[in-house]
Amino acid sequence: MMGFASPLPLQSIGSLVERIVQTAGLRFLGVLAILALGLVLAYTAGSLVQRLLVSFGVPDSIEGTAFERTARDFDTSTVEILSWLTRYFVLGLALFAALSFVGIDYVDRFWGVVIAILPQLFIAILVLIVGIVVGDKVELLVAERFRGVKLPQVSILPALAKYTVFFLAALIALSQVGVAIVALVVLLGAYLFGLIVLSAVAFHDLLKSGAAGTYLLFIQPYSIGDEIVVGDVQGVVQEFDMFVTYVEAEDREYILPNARVFDEGIGRIR
Amino acid sequence: MAALSELLGDIVTDVDGLFLFTPSHSHYERFEEADVPTVVIAPENTVDAETFVELPLQFQNVKDRIRFGVEGAMEQSIVEAGDTIACNVGIFGGDPDSVVRVRVEENMRSGIYDLFANSRADPGVIRDVFEVAIELGKKGQKGEPVGALFIVGDAGKVMNKSRPLSYNPFEKSHVYVGDPIVNVMLKEFSRLDGAFVISDSGKIVSAYRYLEPSAEGVDIPKGLGARHMAGGAITRDTNATAIVLSESDGLVRAFKGGKMILEIDPEDY
Repeated sequence: MMGFASPLPLQSIGSLVERIVQTAGLRFLGVLAILALGLVLAYTAGSLVQRLLVSFGVPDSIEGTAFERTARDFDTSTVEILSWLTRYFVLGLALFAALSFVGIDYVDRFWGVVIAILPQLFIAILVLIVGIVVGDKVELLVAERFRGVKLPQVSILPALAKYTVFFLAALIALSQVGVAIVALVVLLGAYLFGLIVLSAVAFHDLLKSGAAGTYLLFIQPYSIGDEIVVGDVQGVVQEFDMFVTYVEAEDREYILPNARVFDEGIGRIR
Repeated sequence: MAALSELLGDIVTDVDGLFLFTPSHSHYERFEEADVPTVVIAPENTVDAETFVELPLQFQNVKDRIRFGVEGAMEQSIVEAGDTIACNVGIFGGDPDSVVRVRVEENMRSGIYDLFANSRADPGVIRDVFEVAIELGKKGQKGEPVGALFIVGDAGKVMNKSRPLSYNPFEKSHVYVGDPIVNVMLKEFSRLDGAFVISDSGKIVSAYRYLEPSAEGVDIPKGLGARHMAGGAITRDTNATAIVLSESDGLVRAFKGGKMILEIDPEDY
């Protein structure tokens, strides 16, 4: 019974296809093919993105960021979100290709705008997600760096770093979709200018000592145990690093900024 | 069951403090609101305890561990001689598994805590050098027992009280104890004679140093050789700490102020 049943549906499918081709024409088949191809492409592209991200170690490096944790709450992950985003994008492209193939009149302004904006929108969303993840990560890294410093005011630094990255990501995303952002760019300029000028003024001495210290560490004109004279300070070198030199005299220990060692010159006592 | 809890009750009645050794977070929280002051003794203050004594070495010997904690607490004036405390320690493995009743006495001050906390060099540097010495003592140099002499801290003065035996392999280098490569390097260089000089911040200043301290008034046990004598004596002349690995008996000893402070067997760690 079963053996006889199988050829029958095949025949009917064949006749069905024939009838569809007759009624809808080749064009419909083309649309179907494009859509199918789009589906396959979208799926492979998404999987490819997922595999690439995993092989670059992205899941490990963004572990613990707020975005990743939120994603986890919704039973997904950043990598998965990105791969699905890629799939939808490719699928969207396929859909529009199919529509244009059918000849739907997308001279129609609405569809024209949508198609023009789609890639930008995709990139904008991508930039936003990357920005949020990177911002979170930067916050974690900065916080880690300052964990030893038990100062309540220090906690502002990680947040500052995070929101700077967020702001930049938002700027890029907005400029992608063509929103006017001149005012925001001006704001960013002012902020960065302030940051650079302030830190240049604040870290002036440190930078100077650091530059001198780099030379001293490389060349080592004096080493630990040498007796040296710097200005009116004389003593045995106990230690030196990037920024300061520790010189121990008979009854006191001097901590000299390397800039001063450079300014006043070193006398080595044999 | 009543008899059993009485057993524990006897141990913890009328104690003046509870010492938790390396507690986990949840373990600590259970005793945070206890009716006696709680002191946490651990390598790192991971539980944000208010009173905390840093444990620089995971002493395998429980007696040493408790003594170190008590000494640290005495140094920080958390407890004083005459107090009785309960110590919650882990004897087998990591988790606290036993309670020990200890009476704090003045003679518990052996200087071990002082060795780490009040040395000129950073506590972390002393700990790193200890670890290198212990590992060297355990494994030796290619299976052969080796001796080594590390002078930690006050490097400027030590350098002025010593002379080079040969070229200094660490000259103009920036090598710090605690870097992973250093253990291997120090192992190789321990074949050379002489002392390693290490600065307060852990920079290896020199190897191959011949120490020239005056050995008067040095109080070290008889029977130890020239290496120990030299190491012990230089700590009397300077503010350095000497960490010596004996080639003959394989023990690691620490000297400070011309006195032997600590003697440990590398096999115990």
